[in-house]
Amino acid sequence: MTNRFLLIASAILLTAIGLTWWLQSRQVQPVAITPSLTDQIEYCLTCHADLTEISPSHPVETYGCVLCHGGERLALDANLAHSSMRGGNNQSDLSVVEQSCGGSNCHSGESAEGQDHIQRVMTSIQSTYAGAIANVRYTYGAQTDLTPLFGSVAVNDTSLPSQTGILHLEAFAISSENNQFLQTFGENCLTCHLNSTGVEDSLSTRFTGCSACHSPAGESRAGEIHTLTTAMPYTQCNTCHNRGNYDLRTMTFVERSDEAVTRLESYYQPIGQFTQCEYSLDCVDCHTRTEAMGDGDIHANQKDIEYVQCKTCHGTLTELPLTMTLTDPEDIAFRLAQLNPLMDLQVGDTILVTEQGEPLWNTRLLPDGNYELIGKATKQLFIFRPVMGSACTQDGLEQSSAYCHECHAVEH
Amino acid sequence: MRPNFFQHIHPPTIPAEQTRWRYTLGAGGTAIFLILVLAVSGALEMFYYIPSTGEAALSVQTISFLVPFGGLVRNLHFWAAQLLLIVSAVHLIRVVFTGSYALQRRFNYLLGLALFILVILLDFTGYVLRWDTGIQWALIVGTNLVKTIPWIGNSLYKALVGGAYPGSATLVRFYSWHVFGLMLLAAILMIWHVFRVRRDGGIAVPPPKQRDDIVRISRKELVRVEVVAMLLSGSALLLLSAYFPAPIAPGITEITALSGAASAPWFFIWVQQMLKWGDPFFWGVLVPLIVLTILGLIPFIFPKPASQDLGRWFPPSNRLAQIALVVIALVITALTLVELRPVQ
Amino acid sequence: MNLFSRRDFLKLAGQGFLVASGFFGLGIFTRFLGYQAEPTPPIEFDLGLATDYPVGSRTNLPEIPAVLVRSETGFSALSLACTHLGCTLEQEDNIFSCPCHGSHFDEHGMVLRGPAKKGLVMLRVEQNDQGHVILYAAS
Repeated sequence: MTNRFLLIASAILLTAIGLTWWLQSRQVQPVAITPSLTDQIEYCLTCHADLTEISPSHPVETYGCVLCHGGERLALDANLAHSSMRGGNNQSDLSVVEQSCGGSNCHSGESAEGQDHIQRVMTSIQSTYAGAIANVRYTYGAQTDLTPLFGSVAVNDTSLPSQTGILHLEAFAISSENNQFLQTFGENCLTCHLNSTGVEDSLSTRFTGCSACHSPAGESRAGEIHTLTTAMPYTQCNTCHNRGNYDLRTMTFVERSDEAVTRLESYYQPIGQFTQCEYSLDCVDCHTRTEAMGDGDIHANQKDIEYVQCKTCHGTLTELPLTMTLTDPEDIAFRLAQLNPLMDLQVGDTILVTEQGEPLWNTRLLPDGNYELIGKATKQLFIFRPVMGSACTQDGLEQSSAYCHECHAVEH
Repeated sequence: MRPNFFQHIHPPTIPAEQTRWRYTLGAGGTAIFLILVLAVSGALEMFYYIPSTGEAALSVQTISFLVPFGGLVRNLHFWAAQLLLIVSAVHLIRVVFTGSYALQRRFNYLLGLALFILVILLDFTGYVLRWDTGIQWALIVGTNLVKTIPWIGNSLYKALVGGAYPGSATLVRFYSWHVFGLMLLAAILMIWHVFRVRRDGGIAVPPPKQRDDIVRISRKELVRVEVVAMLLSGSALLLLSAYFPAPIAPGITEITALSGAASAPWFFIWVQQMLKWGDPFFWGVLVPLIVLTILGLIPFIFPKPASQDLGRWFPPSNRLAQIALVVIALVITALTLVELRPVQ
Repeated sequence: MNLFSRRDFLKLAGQGFLVASGFFGLGIFTRFLGYQAEPTPPIEFDLGLATDYPVGSRTNLPEIPAVLVRSETGFSALSLACTHLGCTLEQEDNIFSCPCHGSHFDEHGMVLRGPAKKGLVMLRVEQNDQGHVILYAAS
C-alpha cells in the first residue's frame, strides 16, 4: 500500500520541482546599468528600457535612474522597486527636490556659479503664490496691509541677505481662516502654483516642482512625460497662465471658453492687445530665468520680479539695447546655448543682455546693425532693427507695454 | 551488528497505531522535516546574505530577484519557518488532546515546550534580519519590551541590542543568534527530544495488554511512511514557494519613528493587541510568560490521563487539561482577529 | 525466467522520479551558487599623457602590475604577474625575478629560469583622443 503512495508522492515531487524550474526559466532577464556617477548597479531598465532619454544633459549611462528618482535599484518586483521613489512619479516636487535635483554639484549650489536654482524656485512667486494670497486676505480684512504672510507652503528665505525683508512665509491653511470667502478661496483658487498639479482632468494639469515648466506635455496629454527641456512652448506656461479669470464675488475661477484657431487665439484670452513678438515668440524667449525662477528673495508681487520690457531688445529712440560681447568660453551664455542648440554661438559674438545682466543667448548682433533672434521652442528666425534711427514716434519716458501697444498691437 | 542512531530511533518493529495519520497527524515528524528544510535553505542563503545595516536589505533583494532560484530558496525558508510554527502548535495541541504528556513523558513535554519557544525566537530573529521598513515594529517594540522588565531589563536590553538603540551591533547579534546560538540549542534539544520519544516507549499508545490494535509494522514500512510524508510536505512547500513570495520592503535607511502601518509579525499580533490595554511589562512580557507557564504546568496540575486512554483523541480522563488549552488557543486567536479587524 | 513485473516497473518508476528530482535539485543548488553579485572590476588604466613617457623608457607600474615600454615604434606593455602562481615580479637591471618561488624572466618576458613555464603576458596599450595612454589589464 505504502509503495503506491511512494510512487505517487515521488511523481508529485518531480512535478513540483519541474514546475519551479519552468517558472524560473520564465523569469524576466534583468537588464543592468552601472551609471558612472554612482557606480552602483541598477535594474530599472529591465522594465523601462523603452523610456526615452530624459535630456541630452542627463544621459542614463551617467546618471542612471535611482540618483534622481530614488527607488529600490535591485528590485525586479514593481511594487517594491517603486515603493521608495521620491515624490511618486515626480521627483522634482518641491518637497523632495533637494534630494533629487539638489546637491552642490547639481542644482542647489552657489549662486555665483548660477547653480542655486532650487533655493530660488522655492522662494519664487510662482511657487509661493504669496502676492495673490496677500491681496485676497487684505481685500477681505484678514490682514492690514499687503505684506505677504502666507504662501502655498511654508518657506524660509535661506539665501540672505534679503532685499525684500520677508524671511518667512507660513503655509496658507483653510482651517486657520475665519472668513468664509477666504475659505472658499482656499478651496477653489489655489491650483496655479508650483506645489499644485492643477485642476484634475483639465487642460491645466501639470507636474509640480521643476517639472511644472521643464517637463512640458507633448501633443497628447496621455502617457508618460519623461522630458527635461529649456525650450518650453507657450502651451506649457498656459497650464497656469491665460486660463481664465477669477470672480472675487463668487470666489470661483471662470475658465476661458473661447474656441481658438490661430496661435494668437490659443495663446492669449481675447481680452488684450498683443504685438507680434508677444504671440510669435514663446514666453521663454523674453521672460528670463530670474523672472521665472526668482532671485532668491521672497517677493510680495509679481511686478517686483518682472522687469523685461520691449526696450530690453529694441532699445529706445536715444539708446541702443544693452549688449555684451562674449569673450570667456566658460560664459554661462555658451552653456545655455549648448542646452538648446539654435545658433552657433562663438567667442567674439555680441548678444543682447538684460538690464540685470542676464544673457539673451538666442540673440545676436548682426554686422549691419540689426539683430537676429531664434525662437527657443519654435526655432523661427527673426531679424529686427533697433528703435533708434527708425520712424518710431515714442515718448522716451513711456516704456510700458500698453504704450507700445497703441501702435504695434496686432489689431492696429 | 551494533545499531546506529538511525536504527535506534527506527526500531525493528513498532505498533502500527503509532504511525496512523489520524492519530498523530504526522505533526512531530513534519516539524523535523521542516527544520531540515530550514537548515539547508538557510545555509544556502548564508552565501549571499550580508548582516550589515547598509547592505542587509539589498542582499535580501539580491537573493529574491537576481540569484537564480534565490527567490525559491528564500521563499522556502520563509514558508518552512511559518509552517513550522503552525505545525509545532498542532503537535503541542495533539500531545495535550491525546494525553501524551503524562508520567514518563513529562520531561519530554517540557523539552518540546522549550523547543517551541526556540522556534518562536528563531522566527523572530530571522524576521528582523530583513532589516527593512516592514520589520520595524518587531525591532523597536520588541527590544523596548525587554527594557520594561524590572531590575534586569536594562542589562538584558544592552546584551540583546549591543548599544543604546537598535543599530548595526543589533543586526550582527540577531544574525549570530539566528544562525548559530539558537540553532545550536535547538539542534541539541531536538535530538534529545527525539531520543526521549524512543526512551519513553515511542509515541504514546496503551500498554500491550490494554491495546485493541496489535498490528505492528516493520522498520522498512516506517521509513516508507516517513519518506512519503516528506515528499508530500516537500512538494507542498515547493508549490507554496513558487507562487507566494516572502514579504519584502525597502531597506531601513535610519531607525526613526515607526510608520503608521507598523505591525507585529503574525504570531505576535495577539501581543500587539494586548499592548493597547495598559502597562507594557504586564501585557507584553508577563501575560505571555504566564501563558507559557500554564502550558508548562499542564502535566503537573491537571489530572493525568489513564493508561488505557492513551492512543486516542480527547480521552475523558484529562478533560480539564484539554479545556485549558482550548481556552488559551481561542483567546490568542480572538486577540489576533480583533487586532486584524479593519479600522472602522 | 526473469520476469519484469508491473510491481518492479512501478518501483523503478518511483526510484526514477526520485533520481530525476535529485538531479533537478542538484541543478538548483549549482545555479544558485554560481551567481556573481559583484560587477567585474575595471580593466582599463589611464596612464596619463603619452608625452610623459619618452622614447626608450621603461616604466614600472606596480599597481597593475605591468611595465610600460615606449620604443621608437610605439607603446607596449608586459604584465608583471608571474605566470607560475601570480606573485608580482621585482626588477633587477634587466631581469624580472619572482620573490615567491624564484622564477626569472628577461626584459622581453621570456622565461630564464623556472618553476614558471610560460613567458610574461603582453598587455594591450592604446592612445585615446586626448593623447592619453590607456592600458588594458588582463581580465
